[in-house]
Amino acid sequence: MARLETVGEALARQGVSRRAFLKFCAATTSLMALPPSMIPRVAAALEAARRPSVIWLSFQECTGCTESLTRSDSPTVEGLIFDVISLDYHHTLLAAAGEAAELDRKQAMEENWGNYLVVVDGSIPLGNPGYSTIAGISNVDMLQETVEGAAAVVAVGTCAAFGGIPHADPNPTGAVGVGEIVKDKPIINVSGCPPIPVAITGVLAQYLTFGQLPEMDELGRPKAFFGQSIHDRCYRRPFYDNGQFAESFDDEGARAGWCLFKLGCKGPITYNACATVKWNSGTSFPIEAGHPCLGCAEPNFWDKGGFYQPLSEVEWGGWTQLGTAAAAGAAIGAASALAARSKQKKAREEEA
Amino acid sequence: MTLLDFARGPAMQWAFVIFGIGVAWRLVGMFLLLRDRAKARARRDAPVSDGTRAIIMRSVPPKELEHHIVFQHVSGYAWHIGFFVTILFFGPHMPFWKSILGFGWPTLPSEVITVVGAITIAVLIALLVRRLSHPVLRVISTADDYISVIVTILPLLTGLISYANIGFDKETNLALHLLSIVLVLVWFPFGKLMHLFLAFPTRYKAGADYGRKGVAA
Amino acid sequence: MSGLGDIAVAVEITTGNVTPLLHEVRHALQRLLDTGEPTVIDLHSLPLAPGELAALENELGEGEVSATLNALGPSLLRETAVPGVWFVTHRNANEEITGQYLEIVKIPAILEAQEVDIRLGIAALSENLEQTKAQDHRDTQDGST
Repeated sequence: MARLETVGEALARQGVSRRAFLKFCAATTSLMALPPSMIPRVAAALEAARRPSVIWLSFQECTGCTESLTRSDSPTVEGLIFDVISLDYHHTLLAAAGEAAELDRKQAMEENWGNYLVVVDGSIPLGNPGYSTIAGISNVDMLQETVEGAAAVVAVGTCAAFGGIPHADPNPTGAVGVGEIVKDKPIINVSGCPPIPVAITGVLAQYLTFGQLPEMDELGRPKAFFGQSIHDRCYRRPFYDNGQFAESFDDEGARAGWCLFKLGCKGPITYNACATVKWNSGTSFPIEAGHPCLGCAEPNFWDKGGFYQPLSEVEWGGWTQLGTAAAAGAAIGAASALAARSKQKKAREEEA
Repeated sequence: MTLLDFARGPAMQWAFVIFGIGVAWRLVGMFLLLRDRAKARARRDAPVSDGTRAIIMRSVPPKELEHHIVFQHVSGYAWHIGFFVTILFFGPHMPFWKSILGFGWPTLPSEVITVVGAITIAVLIALLVRRLSHPVLRVISTADDYISVIVTILPLLTGLISYANIGFDKETNLALHLLSIVLVLVWFPFGKLMHLFLAFPTRYKAGADYGRKGVAA
Repeated sequence: MSGLGDIAVAVEITTGNVTPLLHEVRHALQRLLDTGEPTVIDLHSLPLAPGELAALENELGEGEVSATLNALGPSLLRETAVPGVWFVTHRNANEEITGQYLEIVKIPAILEAQEVDIRLGIAALSENLEQTKAQDHRDTQDGST
């Protein structure tokens, strides 16, 4: 394995001052959702950390996840996180294409066998290998081949984590997430459509800093970002508690910024950090913009009834179904009453 | 399909089907079994006023017994009112009613509902304990009594847990809450919960019959 | 924060988090006085309604010291009207906010000159002096001939 330089060395080489490094560490600590008291430990760990080699595979996706990441507001992620990791293959960002790019991937794999990190965005079609290929290699083949020497896999976005939109009913390509194919490597799911940029860089930073993947929830997502529901951290929560709900998108309640639960908000069952980390450099997040949470970080979010269907609304079948059931019940009731009557009558006659 | 999807979808649909069949069966069966009018001359021919009077009189305890049954009387009313306030006036319940009835009504602050719900649970548990510990009550209690009380407590309990977000994750809590309602709907026609539909008609019928019986003195 | 903050709307939503935060600051100040232990509060880890951050800034006021740090983009560190409470905003090279903190400390550690940098500074200065000395030496030699 090639000896990779440490993060400290890489930053010093770029002429980054200690103050700048400390600032970087503060941002990184914040990225990992660790308390500021951890900054000195992060600094010490980061300084000595070796730059990991990262191979990024893009399958059935819309490039939204890469867009999200490269628009990341962490200390110039491209310049720092990306400089301190060694991004050896990312076919969207790579200048080379086809065979030449594949050579890069194979070389990075060989040099860092057993130690590199594979990042995947997009789902993998299992229906027909021809549905999605790169340089003539089917997605599932490329994933299996690349993952073999990986230390861990980071599934970026709901598609890679849970199948996402390609997986939505009727799932024409037989799309699945990474976890359905890769069984023998640690997988971390950074879900979201797209994921919050700092959640992606946060996981990379965590791996970079401590050489291990962060603590995960039962869906394999980093707890630091997916530990609490949108609802629990929502600034509109007090309205939920007060029973003040917007009933439509243009009523008094909507204008007053009341809770969007009745407009179908999936915040209560969605685990993500949008409510605190927010989007666009911490400007806002969907609920703050007046739209209910779609629950995009959750498996099958596309098939959970409607986006505007409240969680407490149920598929109860409708009046026709209930009426039919009642008619059937009435028939049974009438039959049993008649049976009982004739029985009584017979008993009375016998008595007489 | 997650547990929540199941609870909101197929489970709820089947519960409504069972509820519909069961309630119609019992109501139709019961009304068709009403005996034909007695042939004897009526003491007084005022079934409506007699029936209505019975409904009212049996909603308050008889004077002679009043001080013996203060606890049952007060607690019974308390939890019934609490129960209906909770299910009818909790904001997040409104989409449930709207999805079924097509219209809604104003709701109360969730804090108020939390307190009311907690009190209702406490009263129901107290009544359950009393049922278990009171020697006479225990003897006359059937499985139906216990099942009906427990089935009534569960939605309140799971609702409170879901609101407080303790125990499982929110999604599972909500699913369990909906499943507890499924349980109420399924049990409803077959046990004493049926009194929601039968309490007043049976009182009316009894009142009307007793008003008619006997001879004017 | 630009954008939403510029739009003149009356925001009446509150999370109720500002007052507890101020209490936390008060306790942290007492701790700083008693034990010298500093506290850093990450403002981005708390749910705050639009306008509440500004309300917090308002509440704490403007103090005597204000410093700009130019490292990987500008950072503004300014003491609030409550001595020992610093409002720290880090920005990246694109001037986007990368972190906002309340630091309860006598002086934020990042403002102090760092030993590693001092050492690098000594080395650079020494090298400059060596070069100047060598230059002077050459100049004298040139002058003598």
